[in-house]
Amino acid sequence: MNPLENFRMAFESLWGNKLRSFLALLGIVIGVFAVTAMISLGQMASAGITQDLEAIAGRSIFVQPNFNEGQTSDTAPIRDEDVAALQVLPVKVLPQLFTNAQYESKPGERRSITLQGTPGDLPGLDPTNKIARGRYFTQAEARGGLAVAVLSDRAAKDLFPNRDPVGQVARLYYPSGGRLELTVVGVLEPPSGLFGGLSSSATVYAPIPLIWSTSPFTRKGQYDFLVLSLDKGADAQQVSKQVRRIFEARYGKGKFSIQSTESFQDTLRSITVILQALLGAIAGLSLLVGGIGIMNIMLVSVTERTREIGLRKALGATAGLVRQQFLIEAVVLTLVGGVLGVALAAGLLVLITATVPFFKVFILSPTTILLSLAVSALIGLFFGVWPAARAAALDPIEALRYE
Amino acid sequence: MAAVVEMQGITKTYRSGSSARTVEVHALRGVDLSIGQGEYVALMGPSGSGKSTLMHIIGLLDSPSGGSYRLGGQPVEGLSEAELARIRNQRVGFVFQAFFLLPRLTALHNVALPLVYRGVPSAERLRRARAALESVGLGDRLDHLPSELSGGQKQRVAIARALVQEPDLLLADEPTGNLDSRSSEEILELFDRLHRQGKTIVMVTHEPDVGARAQRIVRLRDGKIAEGGAA
Repeated sequence: MNPLENFRMAFESLWGNKLRSFLALLGIVIGVFAVTAMISLGQMASAGITQDLEAIAGRSIFVQPNFNEGQTSDTAPIRDEDVAALQVLPVKVLPQLFTNAQYESKPGERRSITLQGTPGDLPGLDPTNKIARGRYFTQAEARGGLAVAVLSDRAAKDLFPNRDPVGQVARLYYPSGGRLELTVVGVLEPPSGLFGGLSSSATVYAPIPLIWSTSPFTRKGQYDFLVLSLDKGADAQQVSKQVRRIFEARYGKGKFSIQSTESFQDTLRSITVILQALLGAIAGLSLLVGGIGIMNIMLVSVTERTREIGLRKALGATAGLVRQQFLIEAVVLTLVGGVLGVALAAGLLVLITATVPFFKVFILSPTTILLSLAVSALIGLFFGVWPAARAAALDPIEALRYE
Repeated sequence: MAAVVEMQGITKTYRSGSSARTVEVHALRGVDLSIGQGEYVALMGPSGSGKSTLMHIIGLLDSPSGGSYRLGGQPVEGLSEAELARIRNQRVGFVFQAFFLLPRLTALHNVALPLVYRGVPSAERLRRARAALESVGLGDRLDHLPSELSGGQKQRVAIARALVQEPDLLLADEPTGNLDSRSSEEILELFDRLHRQGKTIVMVTHEPDVGARAQRIVRLRDGKIAEGGAA
C-alpha cells in the first residue's frame, strides 16, 4: 500500500472531525507559537542590543590604565608617544582626559561636574557624538587650547536651566581653587537607545591643552583614556590584539585594559542566549502539555473507531498499516498545529517590530521555522506511538464486536 | 470440483482465568469441513455451538489451536499476521450483520477500501468499485454516504465491497439479521444470483428459512459438525 494513501486518509479523518481536531491541535499551536516567538524575540533583542551599543559607542576599542594590579594611583598614564605608536593601525585615535570640576548651582552652593578634554571636531571623528545646538570646537581651537566648551545634554540643563547655553560663559572651579571661564559653543544630543541612560552624564568638553595648563592634576602629554574608532572594514578583534601587543611591548603585561565594543556585545549576547534558552524551555513545557493533549485525543479516537479498525483489519490491513495510519494522523495533527503556531508567531513579531521601537528588525529565521516544525512533527510521533500501538494491537474479532 | 475450504481436525481451545485456575473452553472439537468451488453453504447451529469461531477461522480472523486448514489450496498454518492479512484481502470477502461501512466515506469509496490495502492505483480502484456497485444495482448511489442509504442498500454496498476483492470465498455473517423482511428478501435474492454466477458463499445464520436458500446446510453442535460436513 502506498503510504500517501495513509496521509490522505489521515486528512480525511481529521477533516471529518473538524472541531475536535482543532481543539486537539490548539495546545500544539500555543506551544509552537510560544517557542517560536521566544526564540525570535531573543534574536531580535540581541540585534537591538547590538544596534543600540553601536549607536552609543560605535565600533571602537577603549584603552585605559589598569587600576586593579595592586599599584598606587600613580599608574603609568597614556603618553603622546603611545598615541603616535598607534597611528599605524586602521583606527582614528581620540585621546581623552578627565578631571573633576565644580560649578555654582546657586550662590554659595557648588556641585561637581566632569571636565573632559577631547580633540577638536569630535563628531567628525566619532559619529556617535552628535551636535544638537551650536557647533563643536574645531581642531585648531583645540590645539590652541582656547577657552571654549561644548556641554553634554545634562550639563546644559544643570549649568543653564531654562536658557540657551550657546554663547554663554560657563564658570568652573577646580576643587583645589583654580577658576576657569569657558565660552559655550555647542550642546550635544542626548545619547539614544536602550543604553542612552547609562552614558548620559553631566560633562563639559574642552580642549586638552587648556586642561593641561589649568588643572593641577594633569600633566602635559599624558592622557587618561583612548578611544580608537575603527576604520570601516577593520577587524575589531585583530586590531585589539595589535593594540595589546603595542602596549605590552612598551610597558609589559597587564598595565592597560583594552576592550572593544564587540567584546561588550559578546557579553550581552551571551546573556540574551541564556535568557532565550530559559524562556524557550518554559515555552517547551507548553509543547509537552500540547503533546499530552494530542495523545489523549488519539486514545479517544482509537477507542471510538474500534469497529473501523476491526473492519480495516478484516479487509486486509496489517497491524503495521493500522499503526502507520494512526501515527500519521497524530503527526499531521501536530504538524498543522506547528504551521499555525509559526504563522501566529510571525504575526506577533511583525506587530512587535512595528510598534516597539527597541525591536528594529523583524527576525524569523528559516532555521527557527524548520526547528519548530520538526519539533511539532516529533511530538506527534512521540505522543502518537502509544495510541497507534493500541490500535494496531486490537484483535479484529473483538474490535468488530465492540459496541 | 476444487475445494475452497479444506479443514481436517480443526480444534479451538480458549484459556481464561488466572494461571493458577485456568479454565479451558473447547469451542471447536475436531471439525472436518470441505467446501467446493461454487458452493452455497449455510452454517447453522445454536448459539455456543462454535459457528462464530468456525467462521472466524474460515475467514482467517482467528487461527485454530489444532488441525489443518487450506484456503483455496493454500495451507495457512504458521503464517505471520501480515501474510494472513494479505490472504484475507485477496481470498475472503466479508459481509457483516451490521454492515460496517465507514460513515464518512461515500458508497464508492467504501467499496474501494479493500483495494487500498492491495495497492491498486486510485483511478483503477474507483473504476472497479463503480462496476461492483453497478452489479448490485446501486449504480445510482455511488456518491451517497451510508447515512443516506436504507438498510438493504447498505448491505448491498457491503456486498459490493466484498465482490470488488474478487475473493475465493464470500463469508456472510447473519447478513439479513438487521434487515426487514423485504430488504432481507432482496439481499437473499442477490446471494442467489451470485451463487448462480459461480461465487462460493458461506453464510452463517440461525434462521431456518434463510439457511434453506443454501445448497447445503452445515450444522454445528457442541463444537462438532453434526450434519453436512462433506460436500
